[in-house]
Amino acid sequence: MIDETEATAAVPEQQVMIRLESLTKRYPGQAEPAVDAISMDIPTGEVVVLVGPSGCGKTTTLKMINRIIEPTSGRIILDGDDVTHANADHLRRRIGYVIQQIGLFPHMTIAQNVGLVPGLLGWGRDRVGERVDELLELVGLEPSEYRSRYPKELSGGQRQRVGVARALGGDPPVMLMDEPFGAIDPITRDRLQNEFLRIQADTQKTVVFVTHDIDEAIKMGDRIAILSRQSHIAQYDTPETILTAPADGFVEDFIGSGAALKRLNLTRVRDVELGQWAVAPVDEDRATLRQMLADSNHGSVLLVDDQNRPQRWVTGRDLARASEPVERIGLPATAQVEPHATLRDALDEMVTSTVGCVIVTDSRGAYQGVVDLETVMKAVDEMRTAARTRDRAAAGAGTARVDPDGEAG
Amino acid sequence: MDFFDYLREVPSYLSDNWSDLLDLTLEHAQVVLVAMLVATVVGVGLGVVTYRVRSAARVALTVTGTFVTIPSFALFGLFIPILGLGYRPTVVALVMYALLPIVRNTITGLRGVDPAITESALGMGLSRWQRLRRIELPLAWPVIVTGVRVSTMITVGIAAIAAKVNGPGLGGPIFQGLGATGTQRGFNLAFSGTLGVVILALALDTMFLVIARLTTSRGLR
Repeated sequence: MIDETEATAAVPEQQVMIRLESLTKRYPGQAEPAVDAISMDIPTGEVVVLVGPSGCGKTTTLKMINRIIEPTSGRIILDGDDVTHANADHLRRRIGYVIQQIGLFPHMTIAQNVGLVPGLLGWGRDRVGERVDELLELVGLEPSEYRSRYPKELSGGQRQRVGVARALGGDPPVMLMDEPFGAIDPITRDRLQNEFLRIQADTQKTVVFVTHDIDEAIKMGDRIAILSRQSHIAQYDTPETILTAPADGFVEDFIGSGAALKRLNLTRVRDVELGQWAVAPVDEDRATLRQMLADSNHGSVLLVDDQNRPQRWVTGRDLARASEPVERIGLPATAQVEPHATLRDALDEMVTSTVGCVIVTDSRGAYQGVVDLETVMKAVDEMRTAARTRDRAAAGAGTARVDPDGEAG
Repeated sequence: MDFFDYLREVPSYLSDNWSDLLDLTLEHAQVVLVAMLVATVVGVGLGVVTYRVRSAARVALTVTGTFVTIPSFALFGLFIPILGLGYRPTVVALVMYALLPIVRNTITGLRGVDPAITESALGMGLSRWQRLRRIELPLAWPVIVTGVRVSTMITVGIAAIAAKVNGPGLGGPIFQGLGATGTQRGFNLAFSGTLGVVILALALDTMFLVIARLTTSRGLR
């Protein structure tokens, strides 16, 4: 077993936003505590994911941070202040809170929902209005269209976008998210995860995120705390380390099979060198397109519109078919990802793609480059080399936690 | 003479006396509305105070439920030594009959608020009072208004009996009519009083429907 101090990744004092000290929750009439003396430091500006099997106490731990559940003992220190006994309402206004069921207020418009906390904080009307528009834009909902709608007029995915916008309302330094994307269909969930990462890159909040899905944890987390029963920390470290050097059998079991493939979740499209395939405007003439194809190593040319947004893939055979106008030949340019998507996402999309590569577009949909199999293989290679170097360094320092049998050292 | 012979004479009676009947109807409406205003304030208050504590809610419902079981004649009679005759005892008795549906619907409505909504309100840092005023009451409101409507229906009928303690309203002609049973005059009086009560009840019900619609958020419809 690993003791608390070793499991808690060391974080410099001034960069700790949330510190939990022996936080415990005991329910009356129950022999064992639901959360047993968890201690951890959550660094400023990072996403820390609490992940573990159901009933491990991860949600209880999360809810003790904003004291929706009052701890039985222990201390919560937020940005240097002991808030264990501070005014709970004031504390909560400094902490954004997103839950799986979203809990939008159905009798209020989207603008009223998002503007509620700024209003409570005493911001003026105009400032609240500006903030609402800014946040709706941030989560990808056009303010003029959605401001005066009611929650029932939105889809599940749109509601959770509003849920995130609402939690960001008062610009809190901390966000708590309890399985925020758990009740959303896989495609929308993926999109929301990516958007959240994009928002997080801009806003740099300190986020505590609860999930039971290790893949989501790897994708979202700067650090992951794998919790076993009663919120005991089995391992608290970066996703890379958890995947390459699981602390014990419990962590290994929890990660499950396919750790190699999961590692693709750790590299984002923006971190790899994008491939460049031939690109032309949709109204390009055929002769030029043919010439471009001849000069290219690839079988297709990507046609983009006047805002540089990918429209269609065109092959030489498509061009040979005479009659159709250029903008109608070829195949639609599907399989697109944004730069913050992971290589795993890209690989997924690639498999469905007709031309064997994924188009990378920025948030406005403009073409940036492509990811093809070559790019992925290169990234895997680099990761393997990096892991080997790190392992050797760790072994040299005598802190390797895993012996060849996979048992905790 | 049978019922229909009597009935044939009613229209001419109504056309001769419509102005008196209208006055009585307005009096009736006034006492009912005053009683409803008081009952709504008291009933919603009782609901708000008790809905979170099971035992307290049960006491509130049992007590207001007991009021409804007291025969109205008896209740008006019991009030004579305390409140005397006329307007005051009428309002007090009507409030007592009106409470049960309002208290019950307030409790049901507040308890029916989705726990996820309450939790997110709590998590956003709304105080107890802010949660109640800005979230829970507006969400329970359609249910509460339904309670008020039901109470109003009950009260319009019971208010007629208040005439026995010199109360205002359409009970006057009804009791005069009952005192002259078997005569055309008696039938005219009782019938026109009853007609007024029914029309008033329908009018108030429509009014509350409109109020409910106007005061319920578009997001809840």
